[in-house]
Amino acid sequence: MREPVWEFLIVNYLFLGGLSAGLYFVSGLATWIQDRECKPAYPALARLGALLAPWPVSLGSALLILDLGKPLRFWKLFMHVRWRSPMSIGSWLLVAFTILSLAYLWSWLDDAERRRWIGRVPRRAYAMLPAFLRAWLEADGAPRRRILALAGLPMSVAVGIYTGVLLGAVQSRPFWNTNLVAQMFLFSALSSGAATLVLLRFLSKDRPGLRELRFLYGLDIILMGLELFIVLPYLIHGNLSSLAVKEALGLVMGGPFTFAFWGVFLGLGLLAPLAVELWEFKPFLLGRGPFHVNPRWAMVAGALVLIGGYTLRYVFVFAGQATGF
Amino acid sequence: MERRTFIELLGAGTLLVPPLACKLRGPIAAGPTNLNGIPTTCELCPNKCSLLAVVKEGRLAKLNPNPENPKSRAMLCARGNAAIQQVYDPDRLKQPLIRAGERGEGKWRPVSWDEAFDFAANKLKAVKEKHGPEGSLWSSTEGFQEVFFKNLGQAFGSPNVMRHPTLCLASMTLAYSTTFGTVPSFDLLNADYVIMAGANRFESIITPDTMDLIGGTMERKAKLIYLDPRFTVTASKADEWHPIKPGTDLAFILAMLNVILTEERHDKAFVETYTLGFEQLLEHVKPYTPAWAEKETEIPAADITRIARAFADAAPRAVFYAGRRSSWYTNDFQMRRAQAILNAVVGNWDREGGMVPNRKVAKGEFTFMPWDDPKASRVDEVEKAFPLANAKDGVYLPLRENVLKGTPYPVKAWMIYKQDPMHALPDQGKTLEMIQQMDFVGVVDIAMSDTAWYADVVFPESHYLERTDPIEVMPGIWPAAVYRQQAVKPLHDTKPMLDIAQGLAKRLGLSDYFDYTIEQWVEAEAKELPVPNGMEHMRKHGVVGFEKPKYGTTRNAVHRFVTKSGKIELFSERLQEAGHDPLPVYTAPAQPPANKFRLILGRKATITHAALTNLPWLHEHNRENDLWIHPEPAARLNIQTGDLLEVSSTAGTVKIKARVTPEIRPDCVFMLHGFGKKSAWLRRVHNVGAADSILLETAWDKVSGNAALHETFVKVGKA
Amino acid sequence: MGTKTKTKRYAMVIDSKKCIDCKACVVACKAENKVPEGVFRNWISVERSGDYPKLRMTFEPEQCHHCDEPSCVRVCPTGASWQREDGIVLVDYDACIGCKYCIIACPYEARYHNPETHTVDKCTFCVHRVDKGDLPACVETCPSKVRVFGDLNDPKSPLHQLLATRRHEVKNPQTGNGPQLYYLL
Repeated sequence: MREPVWEFLIVNYLFLGGLSAGLYFVSGLATWIQDRECKPAYPALARLGALLAPWPVSLGSALLILDLGKPLRFWKLFMHVRWRSPMSIGSWLLVAFTILSLAYLWSWLDDAERRRWIGRVPRRAYAMLPAFLRAWLEADGAPRRRILALAGLPMSVAVGIYTGVLLGAVQSRPFWNTNLVAQMFLFSALSSGAATLVLLRFLSKDRPGLRELRFLYGLDIILMGLELFIVLPYLIHGNLSSLAVKEALGLVMGGPFTFAFWGVFLGLGLLAPLAVELWEFKPFLLGRGPFHVNPRWAMVAGALVLIGGYTLRYVFVFAGQATGF
Repeated sequence: MERRTFIELLGAGTLLVPPLACKLRGPIAAGPTNLNGIPTTCELCPNKCSLLAVVKEGRLAKLNPNPENPKSRAMLCARGNAAIQQVYDPDRLKQPLIRAGERGEGKWRPVSWDEAFDFAANKLKAVKEKHGPEGSLWSSTEGFQEVFFKNLGQAFGSPNVMRHPTLCLASMTLAYSTTFGTVPSFDLLNADYVIMAGANRFESIITPDTMDLIGGTMERKAKLIYLDPRFTVTASKADEWHPIKPGTDLAFILAMLNVILTEERHDKAFVETYTLGFEQLLEHVKPYTPAWAEKETEIPAADITRIARAFADAAPRAVFYAGRRSSWYTNDFQMRRAQAILNAVVGNWDREGGMVPNRKVAKGEFTFMPWDDPKASRVDEVEKAFPLANAKDGVYLPLRENVLKGTPYPVKAWMIYKQDPMHALPDQGKTLEMIQQMDFVGVVDIAMSDTAWYADVVFPESHYLERTDPIEVMPGIWPAAVYRQQAVKPLHDTKPMLDIAQGLAKRLGLSDYFDYTIEQWVEAEAKELPVPNGMEHMRKHGVVGFEKPKYGTTRNAVHRFVTKSGKIELFSERLQEAGHDPLPVYTAPAQPPANKFRLILGRKATITHAALTNLPWLHEHNRENDLWIHPEPAARLNIQTGDLLEVSSTAGTVKIKARVTPEIRPDCVFMLHGFGKKSAWLRRVHNVGAADSILLETAWDKVSGNAALHETFVKVGKA
Repeated sequence: MGTKTKTKRYAMVIDSKKCIDCKACVVACKAENKVPEGVFRNWISVERSGDYPKLRMTFEPEQCHHCDEPSCVRVCPTGASWQREDGIVLVDYDACIGCKYCIIACPYEARYHNPETHTVDKCTFCVHRVDKGDLPACVETCPSKVRVFGDLNDPKSPLHQLLATRRHEVKNPQTGNGPQLYYLL
């Protein structure tokens, strides 16, 4: 087996980038879906997601920079656009995503909050900003939320996909080199966003309402279902593929990563929370009225999804590097 | 261009060989070559390859092969390339040292050269006063400046100048010169059929043999038959590998002779014209049938017969290669004699693709003031015990026995140049004892060897890239004279051997014998080189070599071989007179008792003798030595790769890790040389792995006195 | 006619059967290119098989394949990994940020993270020597002349002739990298 050159910093980066994408995506949906009064259907959820979205990806980018051999040269990433390099596209994408997510966050702040933040900036420095920007910062963000939410949907999908493409576009690593990895990472990223919000909504003072929970659960079940829908073909197709792919897959089919993949990612991180959420959903699915709401189980499910998402990235980063032709 | 014309001029001058008699095959100097660099000569092993030292801002940047030397075949091996690291090695000897603690304790006092010279000279004078000059021993290994060291010992009046051949190839050279009156080379570039027994030529690089064999066997599909208890790189490249039972090579050769002679496949005309004793030989080999040899060697009789026939059929382009790595058994001389006889009867003598007497490149000699012959005879009593051996080189192991016993007289001072007897001699315990009974031990070296570690004074010699040396002639089919010139100034407070000899000579009252400079010495040598402006040529090219071999110069009725009879002696009267078998007689070697193994040795292309294992670029490929053991006995002893083993012989015990491998016979174990160093200044191999010299027992070849290194049985178990 | 103006395409032929695993190429490369301890621009892989006494051991020198479609160049986010017109793949050490993506993208394990400069490093075909008309250090120093270096587009080069007359293969062509180390069979 080969020595890995990408290690936990990269695992963290891929996980955190995906998490931000998921947060923005879920919050964006919650903003974009409107109730009968043309207001965001799940404002508490939307606001929480918007407030959180920029930070994991920022931390992840910082970790990525720390992982560079020459961290002080990170700016060189932005001296080029190399459309055949997933990392180059991804770097630009992350910058755009982070700016957008910050704008989206700003739009969810109320007047007092905005003024408090502006007040913290030294006045002279603030005065140096262009007038249109100052006007934008000071204006009420509410009317912009929907358009920013809409813009965020493709952007978060792109970021979610990117974390998978970074690995999947490497043709020398048969473990990665399939389009299914991008989709697997995307759905895992989005579901980790939903799971984080489930977890935090139950921790917040205003407990989520049934409608909000139905939305979150429904979304999470769909995303996890899609993930499962990708993982199984990935395994089956891989085993029916060329020898190099089959051998690479051996790492999770009775190799050093088998427990992490089957036990932690698939069992604990995907099937278990799916089962919990389906069980919670059961009465609703069977048309027998509102579903169970057991906050403890819901939070366990959310935590498991996060563990699963992290494990998925761990397995892929390390196992992929151990493979080759 | 210039070189071409020069070589052609030489060829035209001799006119004995038709042009293109031997065109070198394969891309020996493919493509353009970089001639920017200071031409000099490598010192990291005995091959003396020509190279070009690229120096940038006073620092060595790279060593590149110099294609002008036909012997070194336009290559530079891993060791040659790593020489730069020797120069800039932080562990190097940087100034003279005098021992401050007990011997081997590693406490040193850095001193000036004057103090070191005074100290050593006083000690030497004290020994001389008490025991006479013969109370001093001067031992060295080969090198271009060895001559100055030897001269110092001789001028000092000691008969005990001890050279390296009896730790090296003495049995082989004596066997071939007893037969042919000279030691020939083997034309592996043009041979069609090559048999090698234990000569691991693809791991133990000898120029040009290694390169020619690869070119020969791989591009010409010449057969290579290889006998070795170990599956070496050479075995992997051979057409046939026979894991012969150790110590039975002589049986194999005698059976080959039996087949060839009884089937009359020998070269009758050649045998008739050039050899002596064929009838005795024919009678002698009759009992040695392949069926008999199968029992001894464990090589099937059918294979022996087939190989013997194919060998004879391929002759004269067939050779049984001599090999040269020490002696293995106490009958080593007779085994090598049998090789020589086998080569003789198929008539490969002095033929293309056969065995070729060496040619030399002429050079001048510097004349210095001669000294009186020593009054005492040698302490190793070589003339008495080994009358056929080269008395000037001495016999190392018998010498150690006598020194330890104090007979015939005491030896109390030991000067050592460029040699590491702690590892070069079997039975390190005895060597240590010999050191401990000395009143004085002085060592000249470039690194803190284990022997230097136990010395009283250490003189740091300048590295070969830092000094200018005498011109050396390397005889061969492609002979060359090479020159070593300074590439960079000495980095530390070091001196060449000549300066060290002069410093000591001055204080010993011997200055008159050393009143010359290295430049005067070299110029005298260069004057008679077969090129105009020899000195200038050497400075510019570093080498004079002959690219075209000459075959057949000794194949004429008037040629007299330098033997007693003037013929090739299949039967040797000289041997008979000296009390040895005139024809090689086989005696079966002792076999290891149950639960013991024969310890066998071998070499690798990244290590020279016991040295160089501390250089990072080479160490990366040999971090630690281990004990090769076959899976079958390993299973019996419950040993797995990586297990720490205790290995012991009657000489000593070591701890070493196991390597369980099918690449060795079940009755043998093997370990690399050059590890388990006691010297803390060899930090990468200090106490890493184990030293084979601790295990090896004292044994020597009966005729030549050459150290026999495969006579040790060891017990192996988990530590 | 056209061959005169045709650009060079450097490549290497490797006759593994001649390789004796002596490490001359490895050490020469280290000396020529100041490669730090513990990392290598070239190496010799060993393959063993069989049971005593029928054994096999083969050696294969390896290094950067200077591919026609180098995946390392493709994935590099800053353009530090680049390819000359003559096919030599290089790293611009000033532009490299050390993201190691190229190390992962190389199917031949030819790249390493240089612990001294903290950039990615690899075989350069000794471009500084080649541009002066010399041979790469590994080629020149080899005792058994395992490697033949030359211009693929020059029909007179020994390299071209070897490829025309001898059976050969490249490693892992299925990755689509178009490797330019040709191993004689």
